[in-house]
Amino acid sequence: MEIKLASVDSIIIYFGDVISKENSNQVKSAYKVLKDLNSPYLIEIIPSYNSILVTYDIFKYTFEDIQVYLNDLLKNIQIENKNDSEIITVDVYYGEEVGLDLQRVATKANISIQEVIEIHSAKLYDVYAIGFLPGFAYMASVNEKIITPRLSTPRKKIPKGSVAIADNQTAIYPQNSPGGWNILGKTTFELFDKSLEALSPITIESKIKFNPISKDEFLQQGGVLEF
Amino acid sequence: MSFYNKEEFLSFEVIKAGLFTTIQDRGRFSFTHLGVTNSGVMDEYASLSAHKLLGNDLDTNILEITFSNFELLANADTNICITGASCEFFINDISQNTWQVHKIHKGDSIKIGKLIDGQRVYLAVKHGFNIKKEFGSNSTTIKESLGGISGIQIKNGNILPYTKNNDEILNRWHIKHIPKYEKELTLRVLLSYQEDSFSDYEKEKFFNSTYTVTPDFNRMACKLKGEPITSSLDGIISEAISFGSIQIPNDGQPIILLKERQTIGGYPKIGTVLSIDCFKLSQIKIGGTIKFEEISIETAQKKLKEFYLTFK
Repeated sequence: MEIKLASVDSIIIYFGDVISKENSNQVKSAYKVLKDLNSPYLIEIIPSYNSILVTYDIFKYTFEDIQVYLNDLLKNIQIENKNDSEIITVDVYYGEEVGLDLQRVATKANISIQEVIEIHSAKLYDVYAIGFLPGFAYMASVNEKIITPRLSTPRKKIPKGSVAIADNQTAIYPQNSPGGWNILGKTTFELFDKSLEALSPITIESKIKFNPISKDEFLQQGGVLEF
Repeated sequence: MSFYNKEEFLSFEVIKAGLFTTIQDRGRFSFTHLGVTNSGVMDEYASLSAHKLLGNDLDTNILEITFSNFELLANADTNICITGASCEFFINDISQNTWQVHKIHKGDSIKIGKLIDGQRVYLAVKHGFNIKKEFGSNSTTIKESLGGISGIQIKNGNILPYTKNNDEILNRWHIKHIPKYEKELTLRVLLSYQEDSFSDYEKEKFFNSTYTVTPDFNRMACKLKGEPITSSLDGIISEAISFGSIQIPNDGQPIILLKERQTIGGYPKIGTVLSIDCFKLSQIKIGGTIKFEEISIETAQKKLKEFYLTFK
């Protein structure tokens, strides 16, 4: 663990310098400790792959104070290898009319589209970071058989609900957005429903399972095929 | 618009919205872990000044106006204050001073004409606009469809409700408190994040060069052009980005991240501009020049505390 200056009122805590499950578990454990403090003086706590940024009240802590405080708090944390987190199941329609890159991924892996679907939906994914857009969760690790780089030219519009992969990561687009990930399918799962003022159902502590559904089921859930 | 009907008589009607006017406040906090940006007013000095003069709570919402030709019609008495960029400002077609509270009567027309120096004008009303907050804030973030009225900029015909007010508020800022928006700025920088990945030579270059503000300048970020800076890192593992962070992408041209920045990003960062100086930056025009100067964290925190204590 290493604490560095981020800004006049923020510090960043690093847990290792690579993307790994171990570093991510450290982040998650430390994040839980910080969040559970419910401190009014810790204004933002933003976890990512191997770091946590903390924005703090400078009328409460100096830069030196906050380092001592966080160091004492986090130096002996128990790293939980959490197997008890809630599994969120996301229904996905993996059809070629919505999964625009299914064929590309299959061709590159030299397997059938059906195998791509089976491989992508077989794993239980961990969330490593949330960002880019509200509710956009970076999940990993995709089975190495179907690892596919980003498109060389990003699409101007990826429809809301698209389930996609880039390198060894997978994600769901929470809203229409430009993007360069390879689209495998589409879901009606809401990642950020502001009308309900509900929080994003997926947090860094979630585990995600994709569940293949038929076109009929997708349409029954209110799914739209159009781009 | 039926939802506003009952408010119509205690409100401003937007006659001319201008090209880009948004409702802001101090920002949307504690949702960044879900990817929701802070947003909020770009120039806190100007906006907090307006609230201080009106006796408003400092988190009150405000209009941020970035282009000329903005016009409101008042449907009830109140007090307003305009700060920020120097501009033509008329009440019923009579020119008035900014950085001063003005009493507004039912039927008055309020116009912002040309923006002269600076980029952003702030218009605050006593007690703020009565608009529902989203995720704890009225700040408009268009890319997230959050805040303001329907998550977008102000449009002609919008109704901005407020509570009628007949206080006599004669406050104005002394001329010495009114900023001059210069075409040249020196921004104070804390070395931070990946500063170790920049050699002494690169750092020296960074602090001794003059950069130009490019048209790539909005509520998200300000892209500069000048002497390229090189990091020994190609990219980094995406991590959270604080207000004022200076990203150095592969082309070496610094990008200063502002209120609507993405919550996480993967470019190396050499340092972070002191927030007070980001407020000044938000008023500079495209083509303006920027120099950087190092500041220690102790001094930076002292300056920032002094800044906020002025508004207590």
